[in-house]
Amino acid sequence: MSRLPLLDTDDDTEFVPEDPVHDAALFATDLELAYGDDVVVDCEDLVVPDGEVTALVGPNGSGKSTVLKGLSAELAPEAGTVLLHGRRVQERSAKELALELGLLDQENDAPGGLTVEDLVTHGRYPHRGFLDALNADDHAAIDRAIDLAGVEALRDTPLSELSGGQKQLAFVAMTLAQDTDVLLLDEPTTYLDLHHQLRVMEVVRTLNEERGVTVCVVLHDLQQAARFADYLVALDDGGVYDWGPPEDVVTEELLADVFDVDAAVSFDPGDDEPRIVPRRALE
Amino acid sequence: MSRQYRVRDALLPDLDATLTSIVATSTAVVLLAALVQIRYGAYQMPFETVWRALFDRAVWTNPEILATIVLGDGLAGRLGVAADLSALSDATAVVWTMRLPRVAVGVFVGANLAVAGAVFQAITRNELASPYILGVSSGAGFAVVLVIVSSLGTYFLPLAAAVGGTAAFLLVYAVAWRGGTTPVRLVLAGVVVGTIFNSLQTGVFYFIDSNGAMRTAVSWLAGSLTGVGWGEFRLVTVPTLLVVPAALVAARQLDVLLLGERRASALGMRVETMRFALSALAILATAAAVAVAGLVGFVGLVVPHAVRTMVGSDYRRLLVGCLFVGPALVVVADVVARLGLGGAQIPVGVVTGLVGGPYFLLLLRRTESFNEF
Repeated sequence: MSRLPLLDTDDDTEFVPEDPVHDAALFATDLELAYGDDVVVDCEDLVVPDGEVTALVGPNGSGKSTVLKGLSAELAPEAGTVLLHGRRVQERSAKELALELGLLDQENDAPGGLTVEDLVTHGRYPHRGFLDALNADDHAAIDRAIDLAGVEALRDTPLSELSGGQKQLAFVAMTLAQDTDVLLLDEPTTYLDLHHQLRVMEVVRTLNEERGVTVCVVLHDLQQAARFADYLVALDDGGVYDWGPPEDVVTEELLADVFDVDAAVSFDPGDDEPRIVPRRALE
Repeated sequence: MSRQYRVRDALLPDLDATLTSIVATSTAVVLLAALVQIRYGAYQMPFETVWRALFDRAVWTNPEILATIVLGDGLAGRLGVAADLSALSDATAVVWTMRLPRVAVGVFVGANLAVAGAVFQAITRNELASPYILGVSSGAGFAVVLVIVSSLGTYFLPLAAAVGGTAAFLLVYAVAWRGGTTPVRLVLAGVVVGTIFNSLQTGVFYFIDSNGAMRTAVSWLAGSLTGVGWGEFRLVTVPTLLVVPAALVAARQLDVLLLGERRASALGMRVETMRFALSALAILATAAAVAVAGLVGFVGLVVPHAVRTMVGSDYRRLLVGCLFVGPALVVVADVVARLGLGGAQIPVGVVTGLVGGPYFLLLLRRTESFNEF
């Protein structure tokens, strides 16, 4: 893993990076995140490159979701800085941040009477003033999001009548309607069947390829992460264990050290992803 | 897009068949109940007389008389439009100065309580929330009893009710808060805080000397529209004119709040600020109702819930429904309270309680999780 230039973080009020990392959409340095006194994440540098799909992987309790909360400014860091496009996330108002950074998590909880279109419309929240009705841009963004997420057929269906997977796609569409350059996803596929897991990940991939959206996604399935992501960040016990393209990061050593699993990792020349065959759990 | 269009678009929902029929039915019910309320009572009159009194030319062609009736002698006198009302016929006087204001106040009380309940239900994401259950009514009630006992002016009532309601709501939140709250904790805390304030109210009663004041205070606590006039109407109108448009404008914020705190803040809402502002709005609505009608229970719970089952959880539609169904419930309940037992009047809160209590029980039996909208 390459070392990144260190930043001067002593001055809180006026933050001037000595050597800004131009190709990073999100850049966290010396990040320390805690719930109360319980420090969960303490990592030196974490980079989410612009225009790529980055997956955060790691076992349960390694701090993946917490890192995401730090990146989205939901959790204020005890120490360190998170830069979004070279500017600290905390410097933005909630609304400004919501225009640049979208967030989707695994839990779907919404009033059941809402239709898919109603839900997607709420994705336009940060774009609208207090009294603004929906304008042409909003309608276009809503249509585009519904189309991209493939929920056109469900447009007028109430959420209470959707399956878990369809509901998640509806939430994906809502987040897409937000129309942000950066998208953070917290285990978006965890509770879904295989079909919907693939559909969600394909939507994310398409979004990245066609609209250049930077994606940072927490996944607990290493194989899935290796398939969909350009870069992997492997987290272990609140710190970054390794960072890089999947073929470099996914190794038998990683599986043993981080996941406590004895596995065979093979990389066939014809494949574009490593193949993981787990053998047994290590003590 | 013109400014006017934008404002209209922000305030009014799409009227579909369901919402239109709710609005039409409720309006018809209010009008019918109003006619009954006006016709019957100690001074009986046939419908023809009611009709003639309502459209009495002496009232409608004399702005000064109308102003004196609605604004009261004092205010009309200060504005220089006071007129002598003794020229009016008995029927007109009874209709215009006693029975009509009672209906009008009932309409506003119903609208305020229903809107307050709907807003509280979104803020707490809990369909069991209402100003009554969250202790806001009791807090407001305690403050109002204090004002009555210390015989400060009636114009202090809405302010006192708002202060008392706010104090109670903050207390409920503080009690229920443990790094966040759950709907069940809020309801339990509300019940406890409500009980405390109710005890304080009862305690204050022992400092009331005169029997008359005592009776006023008791009937007021049960929620009563007995003896309300245009004075109470003016008292409740001012906050209502603020609350109703503000709530309609805030409907979209309420919708987004219902998506959950995390999602609302991910969409760029300053959740705590918004929740605080909306609470203030709901407390103001509650205070307006409590200041003129006392503790009329269950309207804020039953109406939003019933409307939601019909129109869904879109808040613009829900609030518009509440603005019509709330008045219908209170005005009809007041007809029953005033005329149902023949001679004796009972407080309207007793009637709404008898309707709302069983509805609440039904809701409890049917609801599996407390925050499913």
